[in-house]
Amino acid sequence: MTDRRSPLDDRHRALDAKMVPFGGWDMPLSYPSGTLAEHRSCRDAAVVFDVSHLGTVRVEGDGALEVLQRTLTNDLAKVAPGRAQYTHLLDPDDASVVDDIIVWWVDEHRFDVMPNASNTDGVTAALGTHDGVTAADVTATRAVLAVQGPDARAKLATVWSEAADVGRFRVATLEWRGVPATVAGTGYTGEDGVEVAVPAEVAGDLWDELMAAGVVPAGLGARDTLRLEAGLPLHGHELGPGITPLQAGLGWVVSWDKGDFRGRVALAAEKDAGPTRRLRGLATEGRRPPRADATVHHAGRQVGVVTSGNFSPVLGHGIALALLSPEVTEGDEVTVAQRGSELAGRVVPTPFVSPPGR
Amino acid sequence: MNVPEHLRYSTDHEWVRVDDTRVRIGITDYAQDALGDVVYLDVPEVGAEVAAGAKLSEVESTKSVSDIYAPVAGRIVEVNEDLGEHPERLNEDPYGEGWICVIEVSDPAEVAALMDSAAYRDLTES
Repeated sequence: MTDRRSPLDDRHRALDAKMVPFGGWDMPLSYPSGTLAEHRSCRDAAVVFDVSHLGTVRVEGDGALEVLQRTLTNDLAKVAPGRAQYTHLLDPDDASVVDDIIVWWVDEHRFDVMPNASNTDGVTAALGTHDGVTAADVTATRAVLAVQGPDARAKLATVWSEAADVGRFRVATLEWRGVPATVAGTGYTGEDGVEVAVPAEVAGDLWDELMAAGVVPAGLGARDTLRLEAGLPLHGHELGPGITPLQAGLGWVVSWDKGDFRGRVALAAEKDAGPTRRLRGLATEGRRPPRADATVHHAGRQVGVVTSGNFSPVLGHGIALALLSPEVTEGDEVTVAQRGSELAGRVVPTPFVSPPGR
Repeated sequence: MNVPEHLRYSTDHEWVRVDDTRVRIGITDYAQDALGDVVYLDVPEVGAEVAAGAKLSEVESTKSVSDIYAPVAGRIVEVNEDLGEHPERLNEDPYGEGWICVIEVSDPAEVAALMDSAAYRDLTES
């Protein structure tokens, strides 16, 4: 099967981006400046990611709120129309995380549910089987641009000031050049910024204006190192089959006092018994990156595995997220073993890197 | 891709600069581009004996880990220690400051068997 192409595909190729398959899409890994430079631009200035590969499942109808409340873990009653919320879809049998999702509550009876690229079909199916509610995969109709970094709003404001004013975790329906668009104060870098969904046919124009405004294009490579420094989970690594929200340290995503939801019974059983492992941050000595699947050892025995690891461009040493036995806690010394070598490290709190004032 | 004419090349994308019985070794422009941003190099040890095609070092980029192979057999007589702190030189200057080590060659025939720049260019463009 041919990988899908973003509405911005020609822009990436014109910039000589390195394209890679990701979640069924052909997307930019990096531009010629390279992942490390893109990473630093996001921490110091402003970058834009094409995240059109994320799904948009439009859930509409009088019963839409109720369907989402019964299907997803978080409680939308904590927020309101015009807000975004991070939430999970669980496996009903073992409460593992089928997908982690941002819900944009656009207006009273319309929700734009944003799954990971490869999970869009599964999420559409889970939400689309209820009377009076439609769940439509509208991914192909729009592009999504994530403008991120300390200067993201200032630079975006020179192109589209209303979008730059959308606050953190707010969602707004706006117009760009007379075309309807949805803007949310969300992202995946640990930095301030917004994500904008615009009709596919105008995406190239908006991209060009962002480039002219001095926003730096950034690819999936920098997106991964940035989210790792921010301690944010990636589905398929920190979340996925066999991994529950409680193991991932994301208990705050689960609302126990809103009534029934998919996977609740299985997750409640784990909560009562206590999770058998817990996601932790590791800082390792030296530049060598710890890698996914490396084993983690403490006090002479294996206590877990690395789920994601890399070199931290900001800190200058290795960092990792790892699922560890619950008795291993912050401050404990650990050894990471991979390919015949060992890295000395320590369990540390996440995020590894926080922007000033956040 | 930059493929200097005065160097010889291995099929594993290392370059070799011949200086009498010694060769200086690094990775090619093609290799550094394929790796992406290098963040770590396992600098080889002076005095180690290496076989042709054997693992010489490991290089890690933001996206993956790769092995670097000895293009010829011999003894490592010099290494570029600066790469420990500045592995980005493999990207910035692969044929210059990004050199990895110098090997005292045990069999000159192995050097003669390496590709010239035209053959290597063909390999990377095929």
